[in-house]
Amino acid sequence: MASVESQPRFGQSVKGLLSDKVGSCSGDVIALTRQVLKGSRSQELLGQAARNMVIQEDAILHAEDSLRKMSIITTHLQYHVEHSKNLQDQLRHLLK
Amino acid sequence: MAATGDEASAMDNISRAPAAHSAALTPAAGSSSQAEGPEDAAASPAPAPRKPHTNSDGGVETAEEAVEPAEPDINELCTDMFDKMAIFLQGELTATCEDYCLLENMNKLTSLKYMEMKDISINISRNLQDLNNKYASLQPYLDQINQIEEQVSALEQAAYKLDAYSKKLEARFKKLEKR
Repeated sequence: MASVESQPRFGQSVKGLLSDKVGSCSGDVIALTRQVLKGSRSQELLGQAARNMVIQEDAILHAEDSLRKMSIITTHLQYHVEHSKNLQDQLRHLLK
Repeated sequence: MAATGDEASAMDNISRAPAAHSAALTPAAGSSSQAEGPEDAAASPAPAPRKPHTNSDGGVETAEEAVEPAEPDINELCTDMFDKMAIFLQGELTATCEDYCLLENMNKLTSLKYMEMKDISINISRNLQDLNNKYASLQPYLDQINQIEEQVSALEQAAYKLDAYSKKLEARFKKLEKR
């Protein structure tokens, strides 16, 4: 990867070459890490999953509201049925 | 990647020079020895350019790069460098981990929502079953109400017919009375 730069440069000390080598190796490690993360596409996929979840949140909340309304309507129907039981007793009395 | 001939000899000189100086000098003079060390190391490669193959390039004078005096403890610097590299790499990886944590939290909240909706649905289902049972028990009475309504309608029609017949009868009676 840096074989050309490992050749002794004209007029450069070994310590300078060493520090350059260390710097280039560090840069290579960083670039490798970034390439691995980029190649796994984890950022894209996770971001897309989060966006899809946000889109579905609206539908989920709407479904929850609808269910709560249904439960309220069911409760009202039960009240009506309880009231009709009184009427049932009256009818029974009338039909006798 | 491996050091070639000149570099290998120079690096050997660098590695040997601090060891030789540290055996002779005190720690207080360690910084000066290490300062001298690079100078010796710098001096040791100085003969390297005097090797035949560099002299064969035309005896060009080499100049060393002007560098700052070396830090006293290279080990500390190396440790510091690797620590910071580790922190940087960990930071790079933490970003992806945080994305996973975010998705995990979102999934947990969504599962809680679905559990609440499940409970509500179960209640609604139970209530509707009760309502259906009560409606089934009321069904005979509703049928009787329908029968009553039909009979009342028939009674009403009969009453209308009776009323019309009684009116006709009254008119005929009056006619006969006039004669």
